[in-house]
Amino acid sequence: MKIKIKKEKLVMTITIAIACFTLMLVMFMQFKVVRQTDITAIESMRESELRIELANWQEKYDELNEKHQEITQKISEYQEEKESDEKTANLLEKELEEINKLLGKTDVQGQGIQIILTDKSYTDSSDGENSEPIYDEDLLVIVNQLFEAGAEAISINDQRIVAMSDIVLLDSSIIKVNGQRLLSPYVIKAIGNQEYLKSAVMGKGGRGAELSELGYGVDVEESDKILIEKYDGTFGTKYIN
Amino acid sequence: MIVIGIIVGCIIGALIGINAPIIPYTYSTFLAIAVVAALDSVFGGITSVLKKNFDLTIFISGFFCNSILSIALTYLGQKLNIDIYLAALVVFVGRMFTNLTIIRRYYIEKWTEKLQVNNKNKEEKAK
Repeated sequence: MKIKIKKEKLVMTITIAIACFTLMLVMFMQFKVVRQTDITAIESMRESELRIELANWQEKYDELNEKHQEITQKISEYQEEKESDEKTANLLEKELEEINKLLGKTDVQGQGIQIILTDKSYTDSSDGENSEPIYDEDLLVIVNQLFEAGAEAISINDQRIVAMSDIVLLDSSIIKVNGQRLLSPYVIKAIGNQEYLKSAVMGKGGRGAELSELGYGVDVEESDKILIEKYDGTFGTKYIN
Repeated sequence: MIVIGIIVGCIIGALIGINAPIIPYTYSTFLAIAVVAALDSVFGGITSVLKKNFDLTIFISGFFCNSILSIALTYLGQKLNIDIYLAALVVFVGRMFTNLTIIRRYYIEKWTEKLQVNNKNKEEKAK
């Protein structure tokens, strides 16, 4: 009986000791974990937080990716637009060139005629050699007739005839064209259909033919390569607004 | 003898626990809830001793089953994304306080009884 009681007590002691052992073991492990965690809070505490953060970043990444794609698309759109802009710029440049050509701001070349007018010279009985100059009116009429015949560009002594060109007689033998004083002989160059131009000036009613009849020197040359220089002056306006 | 067993068990457990490897922080919640459950069982055991209806089998089974069950519940709570361990904590700590109250009352009553007996003895002696 005595031994049995002792055995029961022994079992109880051992069992309670095991329970205490387990409890203390777990408690101290937990203490240690908590203490360690305080030190390395950043590294070990974050496991769940990291997951949340990772999810956040993933979301952000997706958003940014979408934005990136949008921006890329926009850039390509702009590039296309830019290309089309370049096309329009090219077109405009071509147009500008064309207009400059017509306006007289560039040197032009083409088939046409060249008329050389020289003063009429005669020998007077009283005061020897004399000359009859060509008047501004002659040049005006010839230019007009050439334009009528479809001339695209005209110059007198390399002075391009443009919209604002003036042909004025200054003195008995000086004609002002584009503000420049010109002297005989006058070389009139015109680009256009050679036949039409020639017949307009030298045909019936043409001023060239009349001058020729009157005794002035009128020399007409046809050429496939008439070079007409550009207008030297400026096209600035003061009063047009 | 039982006291010796308790002391030895505590010391060995503490020594091994200090030297044990660190478990990941994620699992420390399980350990904590197991500790609380075990403590609850201990206080329950003390109460039952005082009430003189202590049974070793019930104590040990409660000690381990409560711990394991609380760990399982905590795990389930984590899976369900709900803090079930809070409910377990409330129950365990609440019971611990109840048991502590019982223990306190028992000892206070014992003490006052003793005092009264002493007083009576003194009075008798004086007579």
